[in-house]
Amino acid sequence: MAVGSSAAPSPVRGKRRLWDRLYPTLSIAIPFLVIAVFTLYPVLYAVRTSFYQYILTKPKVHPFVGLRNYQEVISNYYFTNSLTNTAIYTVAVVISVLIFGMVVALLLNTKVLFSHPLRIVILLPWAIPAVVAGLMWKWMLNSDFGLFNGFLYSLGLIRDYIPFFANPTLAKLSLIVAYVWKEGPLVAIFFVAGLQLIPNELYEAARIDGGGGWRLFRYVTLPLLRPIILIVMVYETMTAILVFDLIYVLTGGGPGDATAMISWFAYAEIFKFLNLGHGLALAIIIALITLALIILYLRLLHTEDTVS
Amino acid sequence: MGLKKRTLNLILLNLLALLLLVFIVAPFLWVAIASFQGEVELLSRPPHLIPQNPTLDNYNYVFTGKIPEAYEVKGQLRSRISEDARKIAPALKNSFIVAGTIMVINLLIATPAAYTFARMSFKGKKPAYNFILASRLLPAMAIAIPYFIILQTLKLMDTYTGLILVHLVLTLPFTIWFLSLYIANIPREMEDAGMVDGCTPFQALVRIVVPMMIPGLIAAAAFAFMTSYNEFLFARFITQTIDTQTGPVIIASIAGNPDVSYTLISVCITLGLIPPLILAIVMRKYLTEGLSASITYR
Repeated sequence: MAVGSSAAPSPVRGKRRLWDRLYPTLSIAIPFLVIAVFTLYPVLYAVRTSFYQYILTKPKVHPFVGLRNYQEVISNYYFTNSLTNTAIYTVAVVISVLIFGMVVALLLNTKVLFSHPLRIVILLPWAIPAVVAGLMWKWMLNSDFGLFNGFLYSLGLIRDYIPFFANPTLAKLSLIVAYVWKEGPLVAIFFVAGLQLIPNELYEAARIDGGGGWRLFRYVTLPLLRPIILIVMVYETMTAILVFDLIYVLTGGGPGDATAMISWFAYAEIFKFLNLGHGLALAIIIALITLALIILYLRLLHTEDTVS
Repeated sequence: MGLKKRTLNLILLNLLALLLLVFIVAPFLWVAIASFQGEVELLSRPPHLIPQNPTLDNYNYVFTGKIPEAYEVKGQLRSRISEDARKIAPALKNSFIVAGTIMVINLLIATPAAYTFARMSFKGKKPAYNFILASRLLPAMAIAIPYFIILQTLKLMDTYTGLILVHLVLTLPFTIWFLSLYIANIPREMEDAGMVDGCTPFQALVRIVVPMMIPGLIAAAAFAFMTSYNEFLFARFITQTIDTQTGPVIIASIAGNPDVSYTLISVCITLGLIPPLILAIVMRKYLTEGLSASITYR
C-alpha cells in the first residue's frame, strides 16, 4: 500500500492529511468526552448534594447542612448493621469464591472424566443476568417447591420444607451460595489461565525432588499463582461490597435486616425513603471504602513486583 | 503411589467433579422443568424431576394469551395468572436492540481508541487512560441519581438512546482496556513495515492490526453484549414502559409480585436465558481466551 509515497499534493491528499492528523486525537476524544460527562457531573453532583438536605418529598427546601447527612447516616442503626453485614458477607464470599475457583481450576486441569462436561458448563452462571441468577436460586431454595428442599425431603433428611429465607442465618448462607454459583466460575477461569502460565518443568523438577500432590500445590502452584490470586481477591472484594442485584431479588434485605448490605442501605435511602442527601452521603462513603481498598491493593501488587 | 490409592483418588476426584457439575447445572434444569409443569404439579412433594404431565400451556399463554387449563381446574389459582408475563417477548426484543447497538458502537469507538492508547505516545495519554478506567470504580448508587438528571434534561428517559448512552459509559472502559492490552501483545513489525511503505496509523489499524485481532474483537463484542443484556439497576430506572423495558427489568418486576405464578415466571426466565446461554456455549473458546487474556496480559 504505497499510498503516501507519490508526490504531487492534491485536494484528496490534503483531506487525508487532516484526517491522519486528527485521527489519534479524535479516536480518544470521543470515548473520553462521553465518559467524562457521565463521570465528572455525577461526582460533583453527588458530593454537592451530600452537603445539603435533599428530601424528595420536600422538593422546595434544600438548606445547606454541612456534614450532618454524614453524621446522621453513620449514627443510624442501619449503617452499623449493614456495614457489619457487608463485612461478614464480603469475607465469607471472597474466601468461598477463591476456594471454589481453585478447586474447579485444579479439576479442569486434570484428565478426570467429569472435568470435560464441567469445562463446557462452567461459564454459564457467569453469562446470565444477576437478577435471573438470584431468582433461580430462589426457586432452588423455595419453601413450597424448591428442588433442594425436595432433594432433602426425598432423602428423608427433613420432614417439612425449610423456609430458607425466613431464618437470618439460612438467608445469609443462601445468599453466599447463590453468589458463589454466580461469581465462582469467573474466578475458576482466571485461575485456569494462571495455572497455564506455570511451566511444566517446574512440576517435573519438584516431582524429582520428591514432591507429590499437596506439597506440589503448596510449594509450586500457590506461590506462582500469588499475583493472580491477589488481583482476583481485590476484584471479588469490590464486587462483593457493591452487591445489589442478587439481594434485590433473593432476599430484599431480609428477613428483617439480616441481609441488608451497605449498597442496599444506600438504595433504600434514595429510592424508598427518598432522602437523596443521606443516600449520596452513603454512596460517597462506599466510594471511599472501595478507593481505600484499591490503594491497598496497588501497594500489595507493588511490593509483589519489587520482591520478585 | 500405590495402585489402590490412585484408583481411590480418581474416584474421589470424579465424584467431586460430578458434584460441581450438578451444582452448576441444577438451577438451570429446575427452572426449565418448572416451565413445562402445571402450577399444581410444581407444588408436589417430592418434586417431579420429569414432569408427569408435561405441558406447553405456560408458553402458549405467554405468546398467545390463552389461559392454561391447569389454572381453570383450581379456581383460586386463576388469580395467580400474571398478566405481566406476556411482556417478556417485547422485553427481550428491547434487550436485543440495546445490547446489539452497544456491541457495534463499542467496537467502532473502542478499537481506534485502544489502538491509539497501545501504539502512540502523546502528552496526557496516561492520565486519559487512567481516567477512563477509574470511571468504572464509582459505585452505581452514587451515579444513579445524577444519570437520572442528565437523561431527564436531555429528554432521554424511557428511550433506547438514553439506555444505550448509559450502557455505553458502563462498557467502553472495559472494552478499551481489554483491546489495548490485546493490541499491546501483538508484535508491531507488520505495522512498522506498513508505515515504511507509507501507511498512516489509521490504515495500519484497519488493514494490518484489525485482521490480526479478530479473536480479541469477538471476545470484546461478546463481553459488551452480555454486560448490556444483563444490566439491571440502570435499566430499571431509565426504562419505564414496555417500549424500552429490558428482559431483566421485566423478569424482576414480575417476580416481585407475591401472587405471581411460578410456572409463568419460569417461562420468562427460561426464554431470557436462551440468548446468553447460546452465546456462552458457542463463543466459549473466545470468551475463555478473552477472560484469560484480561488477567494474564501485562
